[in-house]
Amino acid sequence: MSSGIQERSDIDQIPVAKRPATSPPPRPQTWVLKLIMAVTGSIFVLFLLFHLAGNLKVYLPDDPQGHFNEYAHWLRSFLSPLLPGSTFLWIFRGCLGAALLLHVYSGVTLWIRAHRLRGRHARKVNPTKHHLTGRTMLWSGLIILAFIIFHLLDLTLGRVVASKDFTGGSTYKLENGEVTVDAYANLVHSFQRPSVAIFYVVVMVVIAFHLSHGIWSITNDFGATAHRTRSVLLILADLIALVIVVGNASIPLAVLGGVITL
Amino acid sequence: MRLILEVWRQEGPDAEGGFETHEILDATPEMSLLELLDRLNHQLVENDQEPVAFESDCREGICGTCGLDVNGVPHGPEDNVPACGQHVRSFQDGQTVRFTPFRARSFPVIRDLIVDRTGLDRIIQAGGTIAVDAGTAPDADTLLVTHDDAERALDFAACIGCGACVSACPNGAAYLFTGAKLAHLALIPHGKEERAKRARSMIAQMQHEFGPCSQIGECVLACPAEIPIVALAVVNRERLRAGFMWGKAN
Ligand code: HEM
Ligand code: SF4
Ligand code: FES
Repeated sequence: MSSGIQERSDIDQIPVAKRPATSPPPRPQTWVLKLIMAVTGSIFVLFLLFHLAGNLKVYLPDDPQGHFNEYAHWLRSFLSPLLPGSTFLWIFRGCLGAALLLHVYSGVTLWIRAHRLRGRHARKVNPTKHHLTGRTMLWSGLIILAFIIFHLLDLTLGRVVASKDFTGGSTYKLENGEVTVDAYANLVHSFQRPSVAIFYVVVMVVIAFHLSHGIWSITNDFGATAHRTRSVLLILADLIALVIVVGNASIPLAVLGGVITL
Repeated sequence: MRLILEVWRQEGPDAEGGFETHEILDATPEMSLLELLDRLNHQLVENDQEPVAFESDCREGICGTCGLDVNGVPHGPEDNVPACGQHVRSFQDGQTVRFTPFRARSFPVIRDLIVDRTGLDRIIQAGGTIAVDAGTAPDADTLLVTHDDAERALDFAACIGCGACVSACPNGAAYLFTGAKLAHLALIPHGKEERAKRARSMIAQMQHEFGPCSQIGECVLACPAEIPIVALAVVNRERLRAGFMWGKAN
């Protein structure tokens, strides 16, 4: 601004008010934690959409087993001439794992801060949608965390909670002759157990809750203030949540209903 | 009208505090909630009891002093109206009405229903002001502000600093308040000079005493100035922008 305004040269010497000695220093700063939530949350949303696209291969009309396993194999060996073996998969896993650690750390830290700063008196519960989903983010998040562990044990590692028919190692022969994991068979065997199938469906609903508020949070945490952007993302939040829950939860149900078989 | 009042009584900041129940037999529907408390105090004084301490000043919705929770809702059951503008007609004959101080760890009770809201003042002190020498009034048309910007700045300037947003927030956050001030000052020419510096210092101060925002939006229902929910995103936008300005003031 040139006209009419002179900048004071001593602006930087004007003291910033001191915080009272009673409050703990918030490190890392709240806005940084919110930013970490938004960045890692976005990574998860993109991952879930990508993961869903792969999962939906079980519905391909001819040879779903082959396509699904081919996708699983591709994921493992992506960029393989460039990077040896499953390097890409490990980078991918490393990034997701780091994002998860950061997400959980920031989420829990923010939750603790929020709870320290709420007052002592009872509040009238306001039954709005954002109240339901927004105030349960930590709980839905912890269920998701438990699920992630279960899911890895069940379909990746084949330990503890996996079906007794879990085929470890390399047992499926792809069309091009390469041998890979029979991820498809593992999936079908696992979901043929009704309690496991129901558990997956329930968790998908929890994820939808987490995402419908989470994507709205991302919108705000990235500082989107334009009216149209906000309106679109508010709708997109529910839409993505719906797509993920319908797309993923249909798979265990389809296995239970005998639509997807070996 | 007959109303049962449950009022929080607390001798001082470190006192235990507890509820006291009183009956008002001659409440009228057109009484404001503050007049209801006046009525109660009249009754208490007549019976040689200590009147309830609560704050008020303008009693017409412009000063932001009358902060208290009514039945667990900041300012009372009506949305976007300060306590001084809410009336007994919201309640039914014989109903119990519970008065508590604003609920937030950052607003410690001074006495009864009066809380210490200077935390909000410290956010303003940290940068919610304009410290540029504006000189004498400039000639017409040397400082152009579009009509839209002027209107939007005024909408955000409407915040009366009442603190209802903090009490409404399950996280004790002051994002609506801080966002309103940041948005207001970022829209006007003199304010733009220190836009980034202000964002850094006000948000740093806000974090010292108030909670993180989870975009639940309860504050927007309580705010008597009807500050829009976009103010929450303004806090993040201004802080990110300030980050990109690498230590510059504007
Ligand atoms: C693993 C355990 C998880 C925990 C403990 C957790 C916890 C949380 C919490 C507490 C918040 C709210 C932060 C706030 O108050 O603003 C949050 C936000 C979010 N979470 Fe999670 N979460 C978990 C996993 C996930 C997963 C797997 C996803 C992906 C689907 C996800 C996506 C999001 C998104 C998008 C947000 C919004 C980020 C923001 O505040 O901008 N979370 N999470
Ligand atoms: S934003 Fe609204 S509720 Fe918050 S202090 Fe300002 S006027 Fe009060
Ligand atoms: S007393 Fe001034 S706003 Fe209520």
